[in-house]
Amino acid sequence: MKGAFKTTKTVALATTILAGASVAQADEITFLCYQDGNECDVIGEMIPAFTEATGHTVKMDTVGYDVIRDQLENQLQTDAAPDVARVTNLGGLNQYYLDLAPYVDTAAWEANYGATLPWFRAPGGEDKGVYGWMTQLTVTGPYVNVSLFDDAGVDMPGEGATWDDWAAALMEIKDATGILGGLAIDRTAHRIAGPAFSYGAKFFDDAGNPILVDDGFRKFAETFVGWHKSGLMPAEGWPAGSGTQYRNAAPLFQSGDVAMHMSGSWMINNYAANITDFDWKAVPAPCGDGGCGAMPGGAALTAFKSTKSPEAAAAFIDFMASTENAEKFAVETNNISANQALQASGIDYAKADPAVAAALSTFASNAGKAAETTPQAYTFQGYNKNFVIYGVIPDYLTQAITGEITLDEALAAIDADVAAKIAE
Amino acid sequence: MHDALVAAFAGSSWPLALLIYLQIGWAILRPTGPFWGRLATVVGWPVEMVQRLSGATGLPYIFLIPNMIVFGLFTFAPLFINMGFSVTEGQSINFADRAWAGDDNLQRLLSETQIDTGGENREDDKFMAAVYDTAIFVIFQVPIMIVVALMTALALNRDIKGRGLWRAVFFYPVMLSPVVVGFLWTLILKRQGALSQTLINWGWISEPIQWLTDPSWTMFWSVFVYTWAHLGFYMLILLAGLQAIPRDVYEAAEMDGTPAWRQLTRITIPLLAPTLLVVTVLSLIKAVQAFEELYAMSVRWISLVSYIFDTSGLRGQPTANGLGIAATASLLVAVVLIILSLLQVYLSSRANK
Repeated sequence: MKGAFKTTKTVALATTILAGASVAQADEITFLCYQDGNECDVIGEMIPAFTEATGHTVKMDTVGYDVIRDQLENQLQTDAAPDVARVTNLGGLNQYYLDLAPYVDTAAWEANYGATLPWFRAPGGEDKGVYGWMTQLTVTGPYVNVSLFDDAGVDMPGEGATWDDWAAALMEIKDATGILGGLAIDRTAHRIAGPAFSYGAKFFDDAGNPILVDDGFRKFAETFVGWHKSGLMPAEGWPAGSGTQYRNAAPLFQSGDVAMHMSGSWMINNYAANITDFDWKAVPAPCGDGGCGAMPGGAALTAFKSTKSPEAAAAFIDFMASTENAEKFAVETNNISANQALQASGIDYAKADPAVAAALSTFASNAGKAAETTPQAYTFQGYNKNFVIYGVIPDYLTQAITGEITLDEALAAIDADVAAKIAE
Repeated sequence: MHDALVAAFAGSSWPLALLIYLQIGWAILRPTGPFWGRLATVVGWPVEMVQRLSGATGLPYIFLIPNMIVFGLFTFAPLFINMGFSVTEGQSINFADRAWAGDDNLQRLLSETQIDTGGENREDDKFMAAVYDTAIFVIFQVPIMIVVALMTALALNRDIKGRGLWRAVFFYPVMLSPVVVGFLWTLILKRQGALSQTLINWGWISEPIQWLTDPSWTMFWSVFVYTWAHLGFYMLILLAGLQAIPRDVYEAAEMDGTPAWRQLTRITIPLLAPTLLVVTVLSLIKAVQAFEELYAMSVRWISLVSYIFDTSGLRGQPTANGLGIAATASLLVAVVLIILSLLQVYLSSRANK
């Protein structure tokens, strides 16, 4: 470890001397990274080019997502944080971000990332800071087990099909093949937000205050509880968890126990690598009266105020965000880029497996359709306390599913508890 | 000789430092007596100094200091930090960012109306549900475990075949990590698990039962697995207690023709009472704190510890005042545990009189 440290220092020094007078000071920044697929590996490969260009060195530490989710904020509160990290709770960590605006070309950033910059900002609309680079856009959506549809001889609902159409088709497969359940959804409100939008849930009132339980949400909740009662959704999913516990439903889909997994674009590479005994594909987000809802989001590189090398940290993020590097990252990691110039010109995923390329384009179109039909999805993604709401909902909905409380009680409880948990 | 000395002092300064150290010792203590005794005094002069200053009674405390510092750092500091969290509010773990809240967290935890929103409070329902479920767990788990542990200890205290093996068999689960216990039993109890499949094969049930998810079964299996995992430990304590009972008491009873049942109720149990008290207090405290196995099995009820763990927001989603509420709840649980333990000690000491 010490040896490696010394080597990077030596390299930094050598690079500084080579770069000559153009570099004022070479700093080392620490970078805490997590990856769903190969994101950190790809960033790691790009770091030498950054060091060559600026003289600064980056010490990357790759950790599990749990560390980012559970420990990063505590580290920030006690000044033990890294200089740069890859985070997903974009609005929630706003108070700790370093504003990159003084160090970067803000006009270029607005042009390339204008749509996602507000996700990082403090609520109220006065914050105009530039806080981070969206490494990729993710969007929620379902995957289906094509082989199960074929085995059961059930026609797959097409573009524009509603959740009810899908539920009927999946139930038919379950009955025909005897699998555990038709549909599995990860146990977090983030994954049911899209379906709830489809049923007309607004999530915000006209003044922009969060209201969770409206007619659309109630209608979705009734349907959702019904899906468990009828056996469409297996007891191994939501009912098996308690409290705010997150449960990933991917193992159920991977083992062929369910025909559909409501997940998101971040699973593409995992499924491409690990599913070998059946055909799978991503399908368009199912629709409803409220539109074709999907939840956008993603992970971002952000720097923190506590850093001792703000210039180097900002330079690193700015380097990664350049259109050229963003394209390289998107191609190497098979992700949807947040860079608007790249979105306009299109990215060539020539190297990717055809299934991956098809899934990427399905998810990209989900994101586009959600922006048109359920704009509240983007508002909710930019809402700084959305993570609190993701945690509160599953507890009560689960109790309604297992029959411990009625759905009315659950909805009243969600309203009261969300209000208390987001109170200042 | 002279050259060697010069060389030794030229290379580094430590021989000189050693010499000075020994001279200080000599100068301060002025040792007398045989050579080796004087040498030991001079070499260990700091310890001798401390001993002379503190006297014979003070010395043990000085040797305890390092241990007390470590113990205090990792036991008392968290205790005080917890108290601090319970009387302050905010999302941060840094006290500089937490405002004084007085008993606000207690109200957030227990009152009917949420003091921040003026609406209905949900926290008290959640907390009381955890208290209620944990109470049910404790009421069943503790007596069942003590009775089974006692029976096992009595059986394994007799001269049966393969006694060593049986003792190991019953003690074995204690050595497993709680998480391993949880996953092991999950494999047996999940829908396609061994238990449901076996029962289906025997034709006893037609549909697999969700042993851990079904609200009517989850508590049963929680008690069962927890007892299975911890039985060996209490059995071992009881076994030690049984072996401490003098044999001659039983011999005298047998000579008087006392039946076995009467020997158990009049000799064994009364003489085992102090050990039983220890076992009861320990298992009661442990049962109220039950968490790891239950969490690893994802049972469908929330124990007090998992309520505190969840609410604190230290894992997953931190909430506006979750940390303070969780700290208050943990203090309440601690107070109840202290009262219960004291009550038990008081009752047993009265019974002994």
